[in-house]
This record gives sequence, C-alpha cells and structure tokens, in this order.
Amino acid sequence: MRGRWLLLLTFLPAFAAAGQLPAGKFANHECVNCHTNRDAQLVAAWRASGHARPAAKAGCVTCHGPEHRGSLIRARRDSACMDCHEKLNRAVTHSYATSKHAIILKLEEDSWDWSRPLARGNYRTPGCSYCHLHAGEHNTRLSVMPWDPFQAGDESARTATLGQRQPVCGECHAPRYVAEQTETGLRMMDIARMKLREARELITRYRNTLPTEEQRTLDALFGGMQTHGRNVRLGVGHQSPDYQWWLGQPALDGDLLRIKGAVSGIERRRALPQDAAMPHAPP
Amino acid sequence: MHRHYIWATLIIALLTIPVGYAYVYWNKSGSGAGLYSREWQPDPVQAYWDPDHFYKPVQTVQGVFKGEECVACHTAITPGIVNDWRASRHAKPDNGKAPVFCLACHGSNHQALHMPTPKVCAQCHENRVAQFMDEKRYGFPSHALAMDRAVDAKHFADKPKAEVASCLQCHSVATKCDSCHTRHRFSAAEARRPEACVTCHSGPPHPDDDTYFASAHGKKYLAEGAKQDWSKPLTKGNYTTPTCAYCHMSGGLHQVADKTIWKFGLLEVNPNISSNEVRRAAWVKVCSDCHDAAWSETKLKELDHERRQAWAKLYKAENALKDLRSKNLLFPGATERPPYPMDAIENLFPHARIGYYDGQASAFYNVSVIERDYFETWYFVNLGAYKAAAHGDSAGVGSWHKALDHALTGIDTQAAALSAQGEAEKKAHGRRADPGRLWLEGEYTDYNREHN
Repeated sequence: MRGRWLLLLTFLPAFAAAGQLPAGKFANHECVNCHTNRDAQLVAAWRASGHARPAAKAGCVTCHGPEHRGSLIRARRDSACMDCHEKLNRAVTHSYATSKHAIILKLEEDSWDWSRPLARGNYRTPGCSYCHLHAGEHNTRLSVMPWDPFQAGDESARTATLGQRQPVCGECHAPRYVAEQTETGLRMMDIARMKLREARELITRYRNTLPTEEQRTLDALFGGMQTHGRNVRLGVGHQSPDYQWWLGQPALDGDLLRIKGAVSGIERRRALPQDAAMPHAPP
Repeated sequence: MHRHYIWATLIIALLTIPVGYAYVYWNKSGSGAGLYSREWQPDPVQAYWDPDHFYKPVQTVQGVFKGEECVACHTAITPGIVNDWRASRHAKPDNGKAPVFCLACHGSNHQALHMPTPKVCAQCHENRVAQFMDEKRYGFPSHALAMDRAVDAKHFADKPKAEVASCLQCHSVATKCDSCHTRHRFSAAEARRPEACVTCHSGPPHPDDDTYFASAHGKKYLAEGAKQDWSKPLTKGNYTTPTCAYCHMSGGLHQVADKTIWKFGLLEVNPNISSNEVRRAAWVKVCSDCHDAAWSETKLKELDHERRQAWAKLYKAENALKDLRSKNLLFPGATERPPYPMDAIENLFPHARIGYYDGQASAFYNVSVIERDYFETWYFVNLGAYKAAAHGDSAGVGSWHKALDHALTGIDTQAAALSAQGEAEKKAHGRRADPGRLWLEGEYTDYNREHN
C-alpha cells in the first residue's frame, strides 16, 4: 500500500507538468503572445489564413473560447465554424450541411470523442475542421480551392488541389476515387467558368451602348451568374449535389440565356422604326 | 372496304410495336449507358456511381485474402472504414452468426475486387432488394429507375460529362444501397431518419427537407428526434412523429412508389381512378397509425384541391407558350437555337418542347427566355407548392402559390410583349426578325456542341 503511494508521489511532478495548463480566461493577444513562443509555426499559419488576413476576423478565442479547458473540443466541432460562417454566407454552410459528410456528423456527433486529433481514423466523417484545419493546420486558406470566375483552371492550380486533397480525403477514400472525384470537380468548375466567360463576352460587347436601365438588367443577371458560379465551386468542395447542379450549372444556363434574351430584345427594338416603338419585354 | 382498314391498322401496329422495342433495345445495348449507349461513353468517375456497368478494379495489390487479413491490413491503411465495419451488424451479427467480412461484398482476389451493388446486397438481403426492384413496375418517379432516368435524359447525354457528373450522386440511388445506408456501417437506424434523405431531397425542384421540417410532423421531429430510439421498425406506436421513411416506406417496405398519386407533382393526374383509390386507401392506412381515417381523407382531398389549382394555373401558361409556338413567335425559334446534338429526330424536325409529354424536362438550357421561365415555374415553383401541400406545410402552400401567381403574371406579360414585338416586326419589315448566330455561338455553347 505504502509502496503504491510512494510511486504516485514520485510521478506526481511529471503528471502535473504534462497536464498543466494555465487556468483563467485569456484575450486573443495573450494567447498569441504565449503560443508564439511555444508553437511559432501554428501562429504563423493562422496569421496567413483568411481568419487573420487582411484583417483579424477570427482569433484564437473566437473558435477555442477564452479558457484552456475544453478549448480543443470546442474548436473541432462544426458549431465553432457555423456560428460565423452561417451569417457570412449561408451558401457556404448550407452546401456542406446537406452533404453526406455533414448529415452523418450531425446525427452522430454527440457520441463521438472530440478530444482526438483531426487525423486518420478518428472521425467517421469529416466536419469543417477535419478538412480545413486538418491535423491542426491553421492556415485554412490552403484547403480552399482558388476561384477566379473567369480564369481557366491552370495546371499548377489543378496539381495543387489534387496534392492538397489526396492526403486528407485519402485517409478514408481510395487514391483513385479521390483523383477521379477531384478531377471531375475541377472540370465542373471549368465548365461553369466557360458560361461566365460567354456571358462576359456579351456584356462587354453590348453594355456600354445601352441606357442605364438596361445596363442594370444585364448587371443583375451577370451578378446572379457569379453567385451560381460560386455555388458550383461550393458544391464541388463540399460534395453537395444541389449546389453543383440546381443552384449551379442549370442556374448559370438560365441567366446566360436571359442575358442573350436581353441583348436580342435590345437589338430587335433598335431594328424597328421609331414610330413602332415597343414596350420593354421583361428579361 | 372498312374491314381492310382494320386489318391494315392491326398489322402495322403488330409490326411497329416489336420494331420499336427492338430499336430501344438496340440503342441501349451499346458499350456506354442508356438510350444513347452507342454514341456516348461515360467518364471514368461514373464507375463509382454505376459500378455494375463500369467499375474496373485497381491492380496495385496482388493476392487472394481471407477476411481477417483484409481487416488487419486495412486497419492500418483505412482505419475509418474498419471502425465503421466493426460497429456494424456485419461485424457482430445477432444469433451467433458468422461475421460478414469484406470479401463477402468485395471479393477476395485483390486484383478483381468489385463495388457492392444491389445484386451483391441481395445475396443476403434478398427480400429488401426484391422490394426495391419491384418498385420499377410503378414507373417514374422511382428510386430503382433513377439511374435510367439520368442516362436516358437528352440533356444528360448532350451536356459535357463533367457537368452532368453532378446528377449521378443522387441518381445512383438505383445502383448502390449506400445512398441511404452509408458505408461501412450500413445502419438501418440512420436510414430511418429524415436527414438520410435530404442530401438528394433538397433544393429547388424538391424542397422535401424545407417543407417537411416546416410541417407539424417535422417540427416535432426537430424537437424530439435526437431522443428517439431509431433501432425500432417503422411501425405503429414506435415513433412520436412520422419521418420520410415512416410514410413513404411504411413498415420498412423498401420502395417509395407504391403510394405515389401525384407523381412528384410533375404532371396532372386523375387522383380518383381505381389504381389511385387503392393508393389513397394505403395513405389513409398509414396516417391512421396516429390519426382518424376521416381526417386523413380530408387531408388527401386538400392536396387534390391544391394540385387542381396549381395545374389550372400551369396550363394557362402552357397554353400561352403553345400559342406563341404555333404563331412562330418564340424567339429564338426551334431552328435558331442549339439542337440536342445526339437527338437525330430533333435535328430532322426541330421543335420547341412545351409540356410534360413533349419532353419539357430536358428543355432548360437551349431554349428561349419565356420557355426557361416556364420551366422554372413548373419545376421549381410548382413542385415547391406540391411538396408543401403534401408534407403539411400550410404556410409554404400559401407562399409558393403566391410565387406561382407572380411567375405566371411574368409569363403573361412576356407573352404579350413577344406577340406585340412579332406583330410590329411583321408590319415594319414584312417578316420575322433574324436572331443571327447569337444563340448558336459562344464559348460554352460551342464547347457543349463539341464535347459530349
């Protein structure tokens, strides 16, 4: 009996050192000060992320809470991200929320052990943090596919996306599956951009010759198309059939042909003699 | 003399029907998929959505393995799916049965592995798969026919493959059981919950999620769902509120089509023909698990009423469009827009597709603005109203019908403007305006024509 107590006393300082976390509540600058010494790389990664650049929008406390206790569990769960991102852009959260990944997580998350690191085999499906802060990578920018609505996807961006996805998705899925799904998704985004470029070509050709009211009509349709284009990207990234399709590609088709309709309506009205002036056809 | 006509008609019919069947069979028997299988080959990614037809195993690992060997190796490589399997009934069956290892579904030769499809699941789950396949006899809409629905669609074959790859995630419900029972746990409890359906049953044409969650049933589910015991079968007394599966797959019957009266809201039906009376009785039986039968019948009648109202509105718009078509006032006209490249008949006889039976479901991208607006009214607004009415979201019925009225006013105004414009052009120039190449060219339009 006494031996056991002695043993415990011998190891007590070691236990304390391992589990010792400063108690109390902290502000963001205090976290950054201390953690820059302990894990400079992590802090640098956060500084490079969209959370800190161009302005500090989400600091340590935003996701981890002000206390050390439970801070990892809190930050790993979807709710840490959803609170802000739902308000910022519902398409971002909704495209994920209807995916199989999110559905399974939602049904099961309360029974999962969130104290485990965001790594292979620890979670049945990925939440926001599993992919975007994988293995503690605090530069969330690295896992967000670049998106220029008009630029065709160049080979280096394609390789970078595959290179980023393969190790993360590959923790659950087969390498060929990840490659095929990613390639298909990237091509899907390329097709969305073709539609946007086709529209831009028409806008460039016609917009400046038009009265303000008709310019506004074209701008609204073109703005809509850019939203649909972003939806395709979100659908690809978050594996949402609806964002890829109904809120993406066919929506792009619809507004592209409405732009053509507006342009042809203008041409038709111009071709008529003045005395046959027509009421405006709705776009 | 009259007798000759009868005989001639009969002989022509007897010849035409088998020739028609043979033609469809011939078209479907190519190496691609669906009605265009002789002209259209899928991208490699389709292998994962329709493994029976297109999956080819990887050749990376050699050897024939036993169940424990698969598990031992994959615990290191893909521990997630092994964890899933360990938590499943496959790993721990009831009644002391032997575990169902990886090879039961994937095969044991690593260079000849296959993806499990309903055929594979039927080795054990024979009844469930038989129920699922039996659904085909009810026609569309259907889970079991969903892949046919995709690959036979004109727009599927005609649009770039990477674009329509998005369709396969949902339409593969016909070709894989894990759309609802996700791998590798294949949980019945998961599939019983409404969330299991919403990855596909959400969004503009089928807001099943929004309308259900807004209904009294759905609100109760949101409040109490997490506390329910989902391991219980979908039968009377086991649940405090019905879910998608409770009503549409009552008793766990693995098909969703036997009670379909209004066919997804896509077309007008007579809800009181004898086959629909059978379906009505089946609905009343399900509702009667909790509600009074007379009350349930009233609810069905309310749905009929909503549908009749919606269809009266839709037909008005449809007729306005058909009128424009007959007067050659659609702009661009059928010959001035990009054709469906693979449709030989369409190329011979260009024709604007208006109405369900005319193939309107594919007419949403290479059409004129008013046709597109009608497509959206029919496919998004009308279906929103239908889903709201069918799921008991009464506020939704009101707002969707308001949206329907608004959309139809827009179509009316547009139709009037198109008519006036056409008349004025005829008067001024003596002919219809020429849209030139506007609708036939452009970066995507060109790419779409050349890549399918």
